[in-house]
Amino acid sequence: MFRLLEETGFTRVRSVVVPRFRFRKSSTQSSAEAFGVKAVVMTAIRPAGS
Amino acid sequence: MTESTEISASLEGVLKDEILRMYQEVADNPRNEFHFFHGREAAELFEYDPAWLDRAPEGAVNSFAGVGNPHQRSSLKAGETVLDLGSGAGLDSIIAFWQVGPTGSVIGLDLNATMCRKAEAHAAAAGARLDCRTGAMEHIPVPDASVDVAISNGVINLSFRKRRVLQELFRVLKPGGRISVADIVSAKQLSQSIVNDPKLWAS
Repeated sequence: MFRLLEETGFTRVRSVVVPRFRFRKSSTQSSAEAFGVKAVVMTAIRPAGS
Repeated sequence: MTESTEISASLEGVLKDEILRMYQEVADNPRNEFHFFHGREAAELFEYDPAWLDRAPEGAVNSFAGVGNPHQRSSLKAGETVLDLGSGAGLDSIIAFWQVGPTGSVIGLDLNATMCRKAEAHAAAAGARLDCRTGAMEHIPVPDASVDVAISNGVINLSFRKRRVLQELFRVLKPGGRISVADIVSAKQLSQSIVNDPKLWAS
């Protein structure tokens, strides 16, 4: 999604991981970890003049 | 329309139904256990200000189903117009209104009309003003360049057409406007079996 934001025209795209995010069920959490699934907070700006 | 796009459109319809069903269940039966954390437990996990959670209507807090805290980086200011993409039971919209104040405004967007009315009722009970619109995030029913800040919490990942959603966010934001979006991302391409499973996708 980070790349998509930039391709859409957003600038100053930033992301930070939500450190305490996890799934309740351990089986779901394990699958998520296997795919590198994580929660992030992304910020970006529509440039002035765009 | 090609065969693949027909299949995608069909799957997207199934997915939309599953998303509506799952989040309606969270709203209707917040005491149930889901495979994701929800309610006050989730909000505290993501470091929502406990004072906000004490002040917000119980129904909005109990049905919270976000994946992070978009308010930590939204830097909302008095008088701003905020769009809450996927506003659900309204907790994030209410918190946003408390920050932009009576000179600002908050527009919610949800697929589910009943949920929109519930969010507006929660907002009214919290002394907040919320204009919740029913619609899809791929076609946001908001004019061009009319929003200062868009927030969202665990919603964009549910769309099959993320590029389209981001284009819509770009369109509705004023030049210089910003987004603060909490969401799920994956470092690896998900397998087709996961992509084709509406229950897993909706989670």
